[in-house]
Amino acid sequence: MTRRSRPGTTQGTAGTVPVGWLRRGAIGLALLTLVLYPVLRPDAAYPQTVLLMAFLLAIMAVSWNIISGYAGYISLGHSAFLGLGAYTAGILSVRWGINPLYLVPAGGLVAMITAVAVGSVVLRARGHAFVIITIALLLALQVCAVNFAGITNGSDGITLPLPSWPRDLQNVPFYYIFLALLVATVGFSAWIRRTKFGTGLVAIREDEGKAAAIGVSTTVYKVLGYAASAVFIGMAGAVYAYFLTFLNPIGAFSIVVSVTIVLAALLGGRGTLWGPVVGAFVVQGVSELATVQSGATGGRLVLLGAALMLVVLFLPAGLVPTLASLGSRRRGRGGAVEYLDQAAALQVRPLEVRQRHWPDAPADAGGRDAQPLLEVRGAVRRFGGLVAVDGVSLTVAEGSVTGLIGPNGSGKTTLFNLVTGAISLGRGEIWCAGERIDRLPPWRRAHRGLGRTFQVTRLFAGMTVLENVVAPLPQFRWRSLAADAVSGPEAARARELLDFVGLARFADQAAGTLSYGQQKLVELAQVLMLEPRLILLDEPAGGVNPSLVERIAAIVRDLNRQGITFLVVEHNIPLVLRLCDPVAVLSAGRLIAQGPPDLVRADPVVLEAYLGVDEAGFEPASGSGRGTTGESG
Amino acid sequence: MLSLRGVHAGYGGGDVLRGLDLEVAEGSITCVVGPNGAGKSTVLRVISGLLPARGGSVVLDGSPIERLGSAAILARGIAQVPQSRALFGRMTVRENVLLGGYLLRRDRALVERRYREVAELVPLIADRSHQRAGNLSGGQRRMVEIARCLMLRPRLLMLDEPSLGLDPRSLAAVTGVIRSVIEAGATVLLVEQNVRLGLGMASHGVVMEGGRVRLQGSAAEVRDNPEVAELYLGGAPGGTGRPCAAGDDGG
Amino acid sequence: MAQLVQAILLGLLIGGVYALMASGLTLIFGVMRIINVAQGAFLVLVAYLTWWIWSRTGTDPILLSLVMVPLMFGAGWLLYHGVFRRIRGSTPSMSVLLSFGLAILIEGALGLTAGTRFRSATPSYFDESFRVGSLALPKAQLYGCAAAVLVLGLLYAVLNRTWAGRAIRATAENPSGAALVGISASSVAALAFAIGTATAGVGGAVLAVLYPFFPASHYDWISRLLGIIVLGGMGSLPGALLGALVLGMAETLTATYGSLRWSTLVFYIVIVAVLLLRPHGIFGARLREDG
Repeated sequence: MTRRSRPGTTQGTAGTVPVGWLRRGAIGLALLTLVLYPVLRPDAAYPQTVLLMAFLLAIMAVSWNIISGYAGYISLGHSAFLGLGAYTAGILSVRWGINPLYLVPAGGLVAMITAVAVGSVVLRARGHAFVIITIALLLALQVCAVNFAGITNGSDGITLPLPSWPRDLQNVPFYYIFLALLVATVGFSAWIRRTKFGTGLVAIREDEGKAAAIGVSTTVYKVLGYAASAVFIGMAGAVYAYFLTFLNPIGAFSIVVSVTIVLAALLGGRGTLWGPVVGAFVVQGVSELATVQSGATGGRLVLLGAALMLVVLFLPAGLVPTLASLGSRRRGRGGAVEYLDQAAALQVRPLEVRQRHWPDAPADAGGRDAQPLLEVRGAVRRFGGLVAVDGVSLTVAEGSVTGLIGPNGSGKTTLFNLVTGAISLGRGEIWCAGERIDRLPPWRRAHRGLGRTFQVTRLFAGMTVLENVVAPLPQFRWRSLAADAVSGPEAARARELLDFVGLARFADQAAGTLSYGQQKLVELAQVLMLEPRLILLDEPAGGVNPSLVERIAAIVRDLNRQGITFLVVEHNIPLVLRLCDPVAVLSAGRLIAQGPPDLVRADPVVLEAYLGVDEAGFEPASGSGRGTTGESG
Repeated sequence: MLSLRGVHAGYGGGDVLRGLDLEVAEGSITCVVGPNGAGKSTVLRVISGLLPARGGSVVLDGSPIERLGSAAILARGIAQVPQSRALFGRMTVRENVLLGGYLLRRDRALVERRYREVAELVPLIADRSHQRAGNLSGGQRRMVEIARCLMLRPRLLMLDEPSLGLDPRSLAAVTGVIRSVIEAGATVLLVEQNVRLGLGMASHGVVMEGGRVRLQGSAAEVRDNPEVAELYLGGAPGGTGRPCAAGDDGG
Repeated sequence: MAQLVQAILLGLLIGGVYALMASGLTLIFGVMRIINVAQGAFLVLVAYLTWWIWSRTGTDPILLSLVMVPLMFGAGWLLYHGVFRRIRGSTPSMSVLLSFGLAILIEGALGLTAGTRFRSATPSYFDESFRVGSLALPKAQLYGCAAAVLVLGLLYAVLNRTWAGRAIRATAENPSGAALVGISASSVAALAFAIGTATAGVGGAVLAVLYPFFPASHYDWISRLLGIIVLGGMGSLPGALLGALVLGMAETLTATYGSLRWSTLVFYIVIVAVLLLRPHGIFGARLREDG
């Protein structure tokens, strides 16, 4: 009987917590209280207003979390969407004379379209460009709102019609509308996190290069995430305009609100589901206290600025994850897992390799004389003055396990990176299955059936093992994106793959807690999720025990028998000679030998490449039993 | 002069160096060879203080240095020419070499004197002093890196694969400079991929594999030992040719 | 025609001042990969201090930079060791958040102590100009530009002729190489940060004379500065100079021929355009490729 430990609460793990039922009960109770509050205390106008502002902040923080928490692309201008929604509702309701509440979808739509437009241009790049552009976007919108006075009435602002319900209801309807929107937003965020799309977003945050290598179309994902983070804010903006009844550019496109959103989400816990909600309530509460006490805006700003700095410096993970880890530490959870039944625990299930139908596949795939699956033609790549790959032409036959060896600095890793698209090709061409791939981004190559593992494993530490294996995207299909990551066909396939590598029992553990060898196996499972034709293995035996090396070799042979082609870079020469045929040898960026392993092993040119030549070009007779020549290589 | 005992060190998960023992005698030229992943570069990084040792000791002239930071170890006279990316490409050759004397910067006259000495030893410096370092070829860069290290007159000069990426002509020039340095009396510890070249310059040879020392002796003994070839292309007897984390079989 | 020349000239003068203000920002980024969004707030802070001293003592505001520079240098050094050093390993986004918090803190503090009215230091030459032919060279702009050029020259000298400056350049270019020659990364970082804030000492003093300001002005300024260093290349001082001159002229030309209200939009457009088309700017280092 095996015992499995419950997963810990790592950041971003979809809703799995040590005390699941307790938490659900608490949430339900809180929700019930909030729903009943205006009914029980209909005259408490001020607390109601504070609460509804907290709802609004929570809506924005939860939405912000989608692009900045899950995907890790921090937006410092997110209140732009609130302003867009508000102005949409304001302008149209005044112009058409309708109740702004009918314009809520329009607000969401305008926000979403803006996000898609800006995102598809900006999110092609990586890094800090995004955060700067979001600030610029917000400030630019402010300027536009002031200057396009014909539409927006400039600094004079827009006055909306007063609420249409009886006076004594006061803000209660707004209370319930915002509460409903909050529930919807939280549900939306939870749903996203649970899908394959959500795992892709987290993958982008953790390691965007690796995400691209496993087929995640990073640009599309990011744009979608940005749009998803905008839509509910836009809708809330329309309601907000109605609530305020007066809009002006500075108030609608407020940088202070943007900062408050970031503070709320950061304080509560960026990347978690409930963190932004908790943070929003805390921030709103403190903000109200501050306004009541000091009154002046200066005091509020000082508090806000100081709070943001303190959170970034001392509590960057946020309240929810910190408290959760304290709690689990107190209960003594986490750490090593014990297994009472070792034999069953080590069992490996066989796998049926899933092959997609490749339109150009020959009738009988496999065999030594099959057409080349991968063709590198005259690849050249320089780094500054150094030529790492110097005109390499290499073919990998379909159905083979081709080895690639060479001394340090010979260009093996660079060649790998060129094939997978991690770096760009200087000159030359790369063809895969009759199609030129050297201009494609890494995820398109993955969609064409090219997978790779990494010399130093790159798993997404913020997700469970199962989520790591669900994240790869073999083909871009909208339905796959919406697939559930924890149950359903995608997850089932992922479990199958984990079974194959013998790690099924780790499915719900955080990927960062696995040992190095286990991580290598998970990476292999990730690659198999891509339904690949060609797998590039980057030093599979590097840093692992001999018994695991044997297991990996057995896996490779099994998969190869089922039709997957391999290209293996290795330093472990005995393994290469046992496993691979043919073997190619690189030295100083050039291909110096290629052929069956025994011939390569005995080739003096290869020996020379490894052992080197001294200045005079002398090679003393050692090992290879041949005489010296005066020529150097 | 320098001795390492039972040193363990690594990056991330496992250990790359697993109980390494090494002696460098004053005035010797020791060349460390071994297959990839044996931990050769790691040894140099540990000695220079760029990578902390997880266990064992590094002793220089009787005092332990394994806990010192890299600047302190430099001040004690151990300088390293790393494998790559040591130069400041946008600065001139002269500025690059001068920066080698950073620790001596308070004494301008001394720095100038050392610069002249180094320029004599490595003529390239004088020839191309105002050229941008980034525009130099691989071999020229290597020579500037060596010159930079010489500014401090190090007691122990360490070189990490000086021949890496060099064509034969540059190789000859670089080895010429290394030989001049040896003649000037420095103790040298070099890691070399090119076994024959490295052992050809050295007085002592050390063969590493799997994070430990497998063979030691005079350079001539090591060079002519057929086991060395076996190590590179066939793995050590009973070994996999790679360091590995103990007990990790993925189970 | 004269109007064009006038606009260009004014743009160059203003560009010189912008270059000084942006130099600190780009230096800090180059050495530490920290985007100090609070630089605008530093400028406004110094402007307030300058105004305050000028209004009480009548000392020329631009001369007051002699006082402001050491003050800001010390403040920057303390800020680095106390605050920014802790996020040394994090992503640039975290530094944006942290410095944004600082900027807002400063804004709030200024609002509380000095009120939110527009202020401006108006020494005697405030609205006088030198006449050269048909061109008018406003004295304030000219003095400001002169001060800026002087300080930029000093900065250049420090960076290229002193050991500290070499250490800064070395660390900015190759941190591991710098460590190899014994350069202490944290003292270089603190020095660079302090120099960066010290430039705000001069920039803010000049600002006090040239433009009216109030606590929230720092948004305008940081937008300008970000536009400049993004265009010129983040981390590059020649880039900051070039970017400042180009954008200075663009701004004055837009104000002259277009409308004053749209001139600030120029910076946002530039930021977006450059980050999309040529993310590393004109002189910026190309980011290393991911392996």
